[in-house]
Amino acid sequence: MRYRFLFEQMVRRELRQKYQGSVLGLAWYLINPLVLMGAYYLVFAVALRPGFKHADYPLFLLVGLTVWIFFSQSLPAAASSLLDQGALIRKARFPRETIPAATVAVQAVTFLVVLALVAVVTLAVRGTAGAPLVLLPVLLVALGALVAGLSLAVAVLHAYYRDVAPILGAVLLPWFFVSPIFFAPSDVAHHAWARDVLTWANPVAPFITAFRDVLYGGAWPSGATIAYVLGAAVLALGIGTLLFRRLESELAVVV
Amino acid sequence: MTVRAGELVLEHASRAFAVRADPGRTLKGALLGRRVAGPPPVQALDDVSLRIEPGETVGIVGRNGAGKTSTLRVLAGIVPLDSGRVEVGGRSVALLELGAGFGRDFSGRENILLNGALHGLTREEIEARTDDIIEFSELGRFIDVPVRTYSSGMFVRLGFAIAAHMDADVLLIDEVLAVGDEAFQRKCEARIAERIAAGATLVLVSHDAALIGRTCRRVVVLDGGAVAFDGPVDDGLPFYHRLMGTEVPA
Repeated sequence: MRYRFLFEQMVRRELRQKYQGSVLGLAWYLINPLVLMGAYYLVFAVALRPGFKHADYPLFLLVGLTVWIFFSQSLPAAASSLLDQGALIRKARFPRETIPAATVAVQAVTFLVVLALVAVVTLAVRGTAGAPLVLLPVLLVALGALVAGLSLAVAVLHAYYRDVAPILGAVLLPWFFVSPIFFAPSDVAHHAWARDVLTWANPVAPFITAFRDVLYGGAWPSGATIAYVLGAAVLALGIGTLLFRRLESELAVVV
Repeated sequence: MTVRAGELVLEHASRAFAVRADPGRTLKGALLGRRVAGPPPVQALDDVSLRIEPGETVGIVGRNGAGKTSTLRVLAGIVPLDSGRVEVGGRSVALLELGAGFGRDFSGRENILLNGALHGLTREEIEARTDDIIEFSELGRFIDVPVRTYSSGMFVRLGFAIAAHMDADVLLIDEVLAVGDEAFQRKCEARIAERIAAGATLVLVSHDAALIGRTCRRVVVLDGGAVAFDGPVDDGLPFYHRLMGTEVPA
């Protein structure tokens, strides 16, 4: 862990560079997701009023949104991170993964703060504090691994191929709408196969479902969901790490 | 085979770089297997073999594009070789560009921390050196203002001060000292001499023959990515001048 201190410094650098010179400074890390959540709440809970019913719908929405926002803000931030720090990479030798890792760490801290707010309110209003909460740390680690793994992959790929970040941006928008954030798969799909596609074809969906089961529903997620979540986490982290190892040696040349 | 601290070995080292005006490859291009026509790759290092013993002072000279900086970047472990072998024993510190690795909005003091971290030091190790670094850099109260306000001379002072206090076994320095004023250059040379007396190895890239003459005992002349001369500085610099056609008539 010789480079633990470097990681700390990189996180500081990331925090400083992002919103340096802005009046609200670090608060932007929280304002951004909160404003997004407010906007989505207005659209889905107030304006559109979907045909399906969930008790305390705003909370149903917010739990899923929190997970999604962490996912969808981390990947683009990680994708551009290596190029943003190109000057460092070209001129110094250090473990390259500290750069995307610091980016994800900053997003993760924001996520944890927002999730804590949402969770406290949800548990209080819904009265869902119970045994399933013991799963929460497991889910958090798994989600962190998923995001970290995919972030490593998109970061190093974007350094080689400059259209990865724009493609990612284009993919994330429709991805949001097919993710079970403002609906549950059973709300919108009337055929079993369509429900299965919505539930399992999207790697983020089981994470959203699991968090919602635990926080909003006060229930244990299904065994299949938990298995999927753990499997996806291991797979993403494994592939991301492997890809990064394969491609990192040439980074000083390509960035 | 392991190398001793301060020893550098290049064996049949080769490295080519693609040169294109547009550096960004696209995923689309890669997936469609599209090859963009362009100039052929430049062979920056062409079968270079060098063995540098601990405590040696080596100047690398050559015309622009001869592979000097590439050699340093390979020795610094930043760029891998296409073929051949590179080994560097002990802790090496590379000073390749002014202000590389400086966060522009961080103060000089914070950048000392960041730079130390980049070199793999712990917070305690860096803090133990901070006062010496600040004193050496002569930045005084400017150490606490953001480095974006620094002049290039101030950059090199801080950059060199940090590099010189890392207790490196190997110092790799690329043509950056020239930016400092003469007094500071002398101070850097004195500090380098101190480090060498302590057993460190120096590899210095420069176009300043006088600087090489003062600080190095061995000279490697690169030409077209290959070693054209390798020997004592007294023979190397005349060779270099002949190569460049800048001989001073005796």
